[in-house]
Amino acid sequence: MTSSGNSSAQWSRRALLKSAGLGAAATVAAPLLAACSGSTGSGGGAGSKKLVIGSFQDPAMQPFRHMYVKQFQHETGIQVVYEETNYNAWYQAAKSDGLNKTGAYDIYVMDDNWVPEFAAGGIVQNMTKLGFKPNPGILAKGLDQGYWPPKSGPRLSAFKNDTPQLYALVIIDDVNLLYYDKRYFSSPPQTWDEIYAAMKSKAKPPQLYGWSARGVKGNPVVQSYLPFLNSYGANFVNDDWTPGFAGAAGVAALERLLSFLPYMSTSTPEFDTDQETGLMLQGKCMALNDYTGTAVTEIDNPSNSKVVGQINLANTPKQVKHGPAIGTFICGIASGSANTEGAMKFLEWFTSDRIQTQFARQGGNAAVTSAALHDSQAVAKYRWLPAIAQSVEASTPKPRTPDEPKFEDILGTQLNLALLDALQQKGNYGKIAQKWLKAAHDQMAKVLEQNKNIYF
Amino acid sequence: MAVNTAATRPHGPGVFPRGKSQARTDRALPYLLLLPAALALGLVSIYPIYAGVHASLTTYLYGRPVAGAGAQNYVDVFHDTTFWQAMGVTAKFVGIAVAAETVLGLGLAMLLVRDMRGIRFIRMSILAPMTVAPVVVGVIWRLMYASQTGFVNPLFTALGLSSPDVLDHQSSAFYGLVAVDVWEWTPLLFLICLAGLQSMPQEPLEAAAVDGAGPVRLFFHHTLPLLLPVLSVGVTLRLIDAIGTFDQIFVLTGGGPGTATQLISIYAYNTAFNFTDYGHGAAMLMALLAFAFLLVMVAVTLMRRASRRTS
Repeated sequence: MTSSGNSSAQWSRRALLKSAGLGAAATVAAPLLAACSGSTGSGGGAGSKKLVIGSFQDPAMQPFRHMYVKQFQHETGIQVVYEETNYNAWYQAAKSDGLNKTGAYDIYVMDDNWVPEFAAGGIVQNMTKLGFKPNPGILAKGLDQGYWPPKSGPRLSAFKNDTPQLYALVIIDDVNLLYYDKRYFSSPPQTWDEIYAAMKSKAKPPQLYGWSARGVKGNPVVQSYLPFLNSYGANFVNDDWTPGFAGAAGVAALERLLSFLPYMSTSTPEFDTDQETGLMLQGKCMALNDYTGTAVTEIDNPSNSKVVGQINLANTPKQVKHGPAIGTFICGIASGSANTEGAMKFLEWFTSDRIQTQFARQGGNAAVTSAALHDSQAVAKYRWLPAIAQSVEASTPKPRTPDEPKFEDILGTQLNLALLDALQQKGNYGKIAQKWLKAAHDQMAKVLEQNKNIYF
Repeated sequence: MAVNTAATRPHGPGVFPRGKSQARTDRALPYLLLLPAALALGLVSIYPIYAGVHASLTTYLYGRPVAGAGAQNYVDVFHDTTFWQAMGVTAKFVGIAVAAETVLGLGLAMLLVRDMRGIRFIRMSILAPMTVAPVVVGVIWRLMYASQTGFVNPLFTALGLSSPDVLDHQSSAFYGLVAVDVWEWTPLLFLICLAGLQSMPQEPLEAAAVDGAGPVRLFFHHTLPLLLPVLSVGVTLRLIDAIGTFDQIFVLTGGGPGTATQLISIYAYNTAFNFTDYGHGAAMLMALLAFAFLLVMVAVTLMRRASRRTS
């Protein structure tokens, strides 16, 4: 081999390594980077008579998908195309569609915490301006989730003096409920103290747990904490946007939740809804808080539940007040909708008294009108409906800001750490609550400070 | 068979009447052949990186670009303690996982390089985890690790050990994820090492054995140096891939408990897509890209040095 041949071989190897390194690094980072820059969606506009509804997948949407879309089509002659995908993908797709006004969708089915971003960002249309009149029978707390800026609570500075307008309409009232096994509670427990006393005397982990909760960091553990936080009279954020959970009431609320830990599964920090409710459905848990879906689809379903007919539902317990968190399924009309009229017609139709009563009667779904949730025929069959109405009326909304997921992530990470700490220490719950809530407070305060032009 | 190469091909006036046009074709041919790949790379890599850089220099509000940010997103990211924490977790994860995969992959390849009965089946079986989609791997291991329903806890109990509750503790969750990565990607290094071992010239090894070198000496002084160029490619590929690990962690722990398994990929994803902060998310990914590049350069340099030293 000549020397030039040798250097050529060395160059080749180096080039190969460099190229492999650079090429692979670029390939790894490229899709994420491209996605960060925002995408330009494409899609043809819907015809004037066709209505395209997009949604995320959720068991609660099953009747909507299977029955009501078809019924609307049958009754009005308007062709409806219903598309759904997983939650995260749909959030991105809807946002991209709305920002680029592609006209691929007419209605977005959204989570209620998307409303601030979608309304403020012009991703959905102002329904008040379109002349939409919501059914006056819709429960106020549910309906309020669709207004921007919010009717109550703190507002972003740019919207401080704006009149609230309707940007989205609630279609399913999802709210925290207290699920309790009537073998251990003869009547609905009214306070956390009552539940604590019952679990102290009756729970025998791991055969019978006193309480079950979602403990995974982020949204799940926050959902476990909010009914406690709200009921102790504290706020996620105060009216001036300062974090409201690290004061005496918030600490006491977390201390109460942590005091349940000796009667809960030691695996709680890894629990999400399936594990949390699984214990109750196996008959191994006295009580828990959860959203309405478990009542509608699980507790009386013999293929999933060993406690059919044993679980009753009520408003979440109180300390100074009841404080269930609300999380609605809510619909907005796409900014680029090619069939705005059809979209309004559909939403008006679905939230009408007639359809809502049908919605409650067929499957005990979480209807949005008071009349449907108190309909005697529906209530006789589905015992949880009045509890849903009561809980919606008593509910507390989450902070109404596009940064809510970030706040939830901050609080949820520290709450998860508080659970781990409390399980390890088996005591000192007050100090643990104070320590981790303060950490969350400081992080959130920093975010608020960084974005002070948005908030103050 | 004689092959005409540029160095050996006869040339000069009268040898080939179309010499000039032939030379032009020769010069252009490599570029023409590279063109399709360059176009594809431009579409799937260069443009996204450009778009990412642009996003990292932009301020977004409610998902809309509202102003240029200059370097502010980078300044914010470098002052973000969570970012550095995530970088630390990423470095630890990559270091431990890739080291374990390299040792195990090489060990398995040494063990299975010889021909024996059923060797093809054994080799194919070892490769199986690599063929499973990472997100499916995450789901499978989540079911196995689950304290209430998984089989890891009962397995430990049956062996007389206490239940590890893998996903309930910060350190066990982290090492649980490392184990998943090792399970999935050791086969890649096994495959690369096996190919290297099979194509290795046997004469130097036989000569060393005749000279009385024992198996350990033979391995460290002959086999490993000869294998280093191939191994370095494998390790480099794994380093880059491990830095971008996302799917399994997203499914298994979501970055928890606490922030114990929050790699930079998870944090950047959350920042960009959950918190709708595209500018900061993109800045984090650019930092990750730089980190990956740096790591690869260090790894390649170290291996080249080692290769030179041993040769």
